[in-house]
Amino acid sequence: MRLAPGLGFLGGGLLLALLPALHPPAFYETVLYLVFFWVALATSWNLISGYAGYFSFGHAAFFGAGVYTTATLTATYAVPFLWTLPVAGLVAALLGAGAGAVVFRVRGVRGELFALLTLAITFVLSTIVLNTPIDGGPGVFLAAVPVPRWFGSQNATLYLLSLIVALGSVAAAYGIQRSRWGAGLFAIRDDEDVAEVLGVPTYRYKLCAFAASCFIAGVVGGIYAIFVTYVTVPDVFSIGLAVDAIMMAALGGTRYWFGPAIGAALVTALTQALTGGQSAILNRALIGAILIAVIVFLPDGVAGGAARWLKRLARPAGAVVVTTARVIALPTRPGAAAGTPLLQCADVRKAFRGLQALAGVTLEARAGEILGLIGPNGSGKSTLINVVSGYYQSDGGRVTFDGHSITGVDGHRIASLGLSRTYQIPRSFRRLTALDNVALAAMFGAPARSREAARREARRWLAFTGLADRAAALPEELNLHERKFLDLARALASEPKLVLMDEVLSGLTPTQMGEALQLVRKIREQGTTVVFVEHIMPAVIDLADRVVVLSYGRVLAEGKPRDVMRDREVIRAYLGRAYA
Amino acid sequence: MWPLEEVPVSTIPRSLLILMLGGIFIIAPWAPAAAGTSGPPVRIGGTLALTGPLGPTSLVHKIAGEISIEQINKRDGLLGRPVEWVLLDDQSKADVTRTLYERLITVDKVDLLVGPYATNAILSALAVAQRYQKMLVHHSFGIPKLATYPMHIPVSALGNEPDKSLPKKVFEAMESTGQAPRTIAIVTSKFSSVHFISVGAREVAAARGLKVVLYLEYEFGARDFAPIATRIKEANPDFLWVGAIGLDANLLLDAFQTIGYKPRGQYHLFPAPGPLINAPGSAFAFAYTSFEAHPPMTNNPSAEELSRLFHERAKQAGLPYPFVETQAASSFASWQLIEAAVNATRSLDDKVLAAWLKANKVDTVYGKLSFDGPNNYGPEYTKVKQIQNGRWVVVWPKEFAAPGTKIVYPAP
Repeated sequence: MRLAPGLGFLGGGLLLALLPALHPPAFYETVLYLVFFWVALATSWNLISGYAGYFSFGHAAFFGAGVYTTATLTATYAVPFLWTLPVAGLVAALLGAGAGAVVFRVRGVRGELFALLTLAITFVLSTIVLNTPIDGGPGVFLAAVPVPRWFGSQNATLYLLSLIVALGSVAAAYGIQRSRWGAGLFAIRDDEDVAEVLGVPTYRYKLCAFAASCFIAGVVGGIYAIFVTYVTVPDVFSIGLAVDAIMMAALGGTRYWFGPAIGAALVTALTQALTGGQSAILNRALIGAILIAVIVFLPDGVAGGAARWLKRLARPAGAVVVTTARVIALPTRPGAAAGTPLLQCADVRKAFRGLQALAGVTLEARAGEILGLIGPNGSGKSTLINVVSGYYQSDGGRVTFDGHSITGVDGHRIASLGLSRTYQIPRSFRRLTALDNVALAAMFGAPARSREAARREARRWLAFTGLADRAAALPEELNLHERKFLDLARALASEPKLVLMDEVLSGLTPTQMGEALQLVRKIREQGTTVVFVEHIMPAVIDLADRVVVLSYGRVLAEGKPRDVMRDREVIRAYLGRAYA
Repeated sequence: MWPLEEVPVSTIPRSLLILMLGGIFIIAPWAPAAAGTSGPPVRIGGTLALTGPLGPTSLVHKIAGEISIEQINKRDGLLGRPVEWVLLDDQSKADVTRTLYERLITVDKVDLLVGPYATNAILSALAVAQRYQKMLVHHSFGIPKLATYPMHIPVSALGNEPDKSLPKKVFEAMESTGQAPRTIAIVTSKFSSVHFISVGAREVAAARGLKVVLYLEYEFGARDFAPIATRIKEANPDFLWVGAIGLDANLLLDAFQTIGYKPRGQYHLFPAPGPLINAPGSAFAFAYTSFEAHPPMTNNPSAEELSRLFHERAKQAGLPYPFVETQAASSFASWQLIEAAVNATRSLDDKVLAAWLKANKVDTVYGKLSFDGPNNYGPEYTKVKQIQNGRWVVVWPKEFAAPGTKIVYPAP
C-alpha cells in the first residue's frame, strides 16, 4: 500500500476504533456496525464479481456458512465466540474453493451460468442446514452465548470486530487491485481467454479471489450470528442479501477498491435515515428512486462518476490528441541460434464435433525467421494458432516450443515460455486503457515485471507501434488500425521469442499496411521470430522468409514464397493464379 | 431488496423530489390530538415490518396501534400527558430491528417499548430490551420457550406450550362432532414458529390415537405444492393439518383443485385470512384464531368499538380482510396492557410496570390476561375458526362460538 492512502486508512481506522472509548449512545455503534457489515460484504462480493466479472448471486451461501459455523460452535460446542470467527471464514472459503475448483475448470460456466450456479449452491446449502441438526427448522437461538466486553460493552465488541473486518476487506481489495493478481482479475473480467494466453494464470487467480471473497463473507456471517442472536435459514440464506451486496457494489463502482464501501455506506445510511413508520412505503420508494437515479446517471457507480469528473478536469475541453512519430530503435535480444527449430508441430490434430480442423499438421518455425502461414478459409490456420497458444487442446500430435513440450499445457504457461499472439479481430481489454492493455502483457510475459516496470515497458511498445499519444485511451476510442497495433504492442510487450500474428494486415489502408510491414521487419530485427497468417499475397511474398500452405487441416506445401506461389497444387487449391 | 418498481423516477416532478429529499430525516411520530392532556408526551417506541415480506400483516398492527393511541389520548393519555407512538419501519429485517430498538432507547430515549411483528424480530428486540432493562410488550411471538427475559410481556395468548395446547384444542373440536378423525396427514412449512407447533401437533395426534399417515415438511416460501397435494391425496387422511403461513394455504388448495381432491377436513395454522376465504375449495376450512369480530367476543364495549373502527380504517387502507382477527386484537391488547399498568402504578418505570403486570390480571379485548406462568405466559385463548357462509367464525371452544354456528366436519 502506498504511504498516503495507507496512512489515511490507518488514521481513519484508529479514529473509528476509539469511538467506543467515548461511550456514545449504543445506537451509533450498532448503525456503524451495519455500515461495516455491508462494507465488508459488498467488498468481498466485489473481489470475485466486480474484479473478475464472475457474477455471484450466491453470496448468501458463504455468508450463511459462516453464520451457522459460529452458531453451531458457540451454541452446541461452547467454543468461545472469537475463536469461531476464523473457523467461520475458513469453512466458507473451503466451500467456495471446493465449488470453484470444479466450476472454474469448465469454460462454459461463465456469466449468467456462474450466477445461477452460485444461486444453486445457496439452495443446496440451505436445504442441508434446514434438514440436519445444524438447524433442523426452528432456528438457533444465541442470546446465551458469552461475548467479550471490549470497552465495557458487547456492542463495542461487535462494532470493533465489524470495523476490523471492514477495514481488512477494503485493505485487501486495495492491495489486490494494485497487485499482479488484481491486474490479472481485471483482465479476466474483460476477456478471460485472452488473459490466459497473455500469461495470466486465470484458474488460480479466480480460485484465490473466490476463496478470499468467501472467507470474508464467512467471518462477517460469524459476527452477524451473534449480533442478531437468533438465526433462521430463510433469513440467512436469503437471495436478498446477495442482491443488496450487488446493488451496493454497483452503486459505489465495481472497478474501484473503495466503490463497494461507498455504496454500502450510502445505502445503509439511507436505509437508517428513512425508517419513519408513518411514511414507510414512501421512504422505500424514495430510496429506490435515488438508487435508480444514481445507476442511470452514474453507470460506473459513484466512484466511476467521480473518476470521470476528475479526468475531465485534468484534460481541458477541446484538447486535441496528436500522434507522434514512432520510436523504432529497439535493442536486439539474444535468442535461439538463427535457423534452429523454435516451434515444432508434429501430426497435430483437432476436430470440432466431427469437423476435422487439423488433420495432422507437421511444420516448424525456425528461430529468427518470418514464416507465412497461408491457406483458404477453413484450412485450419487460426485453429493451429489457437492450439499452439494453448487456447485449444489438441486431440493428438505434439507441439514443442524452444525445447519444451507444450502439448496440453495451459495458455499462461506457454506465454511464460515466450510465445505470444495477436487476433484476427482485435481483442483488447475493453475497460483497460491502451497503456494498461500493454502493461498487462509486460507483467505476465516471459520476464515477469512489477506494475510500474510493466508500464514503463508498455510505453516503449506503444511508442514502437505509434500509439504513444493514445496511451490513456480506451480501446473503444481507437480505430481499427490502432486497435490492431495495440494488439501487436501487447503481444510484443511480453518480450516473446515467437509471436503469432493472425491477419494483422486485414482491413488496413495501403499506407497503414506499409507501416505494418515495416513493424514486422523491426520485430524480427530485434530478435523475435514471427509466424503470420495472411491472405494478402504481395505482403506475404514481400515479408516471409518461408511459407507454409494449409488446406483441409493438412500442410499442402512449404518453401520459399516464390516457389510456393508457383506450386500447381497451391494454385489449384487456394490461389487460383500464380503470384510469382 | 429495494422496491425499485414502486416509483419510476421519471414520474416524480423535480419539486416533489426536492420536498421528499428534504423530508428524509423527519420521522413523524403518531400523536393525534389529545383532549385534556398536558405536558410533554409519553413516548412509546416500537418497530413494525411495514415494508418487506411481512409488510401486509404489519399494516394490520399499525392500524390497530393508531386506533389504540387515539383512544388512549381521548381518555386523557397516560399520567395526564398525551401519548406519542414513535413508530419505525424495521423492513422485515432482524438486524435492522435490533439497530432501531437501540436507537429508540439510546437516542430517541422513548419512555416505553412496544414490540415489533413476528418471532424473529421480537427476539432481536428482546435482546436489546434485556441489555437496557426495558420492559417489552409484544404481540406476535410464536416460540414461548425462547423468551426467557423476565421483563417481556407476551400478549399473543398462545400459552406457554402452544405446540401442545393448540393442536389439543383442534383435535378436541373434531372429537366434539362425534365423528373424530382416525387418520391425519400433517404437512408444514419450516418457518420457525409454524414448524414448532406442527411438530407438536404430530406428537399430540399420536398421543390421542390418531394415525399419522403422512408427515411432510416444506421450505418457507415454497411455491410448488403439486407434489405435496398428490402425496396427501394418496394418503387419503380423515383430517389434514397444514402448518401454513401466509399464502401457503391458497397454493395448496390450488394444487388440490388441479388434481380434483377435496379433503374431508382441513386445518391451516396461520393462513392469510383474506385470500384463503376467497380461495376455491376453502369452504369449511379451519384455522387458528384468538379473536374474531363477532359475539360473544365483541360483547364488551372496547371490542365492539375496535371492530367498528378497524373495519372502517382497514377498508380505507384496502386490506383484503377488513375485520378484526388475531393480529389486530393482539396489537390492541398490547396497548391496553400498557395503559392499564401505567394507570395502576402511576409510573413509567419499566421494572415497576413489569412487576405490576406479572402480579395482576388485566382486562383486554381477549378477556383477562395474566403473565404469572412460565416465561411470563399466562392463560391461552386459542380458538378454532371455520369458514362458513363466506365468513370466518369461531366454532370452538363452544363458549366463544359465533351464535348459531356449530362445527361442520366432515366437510359436505
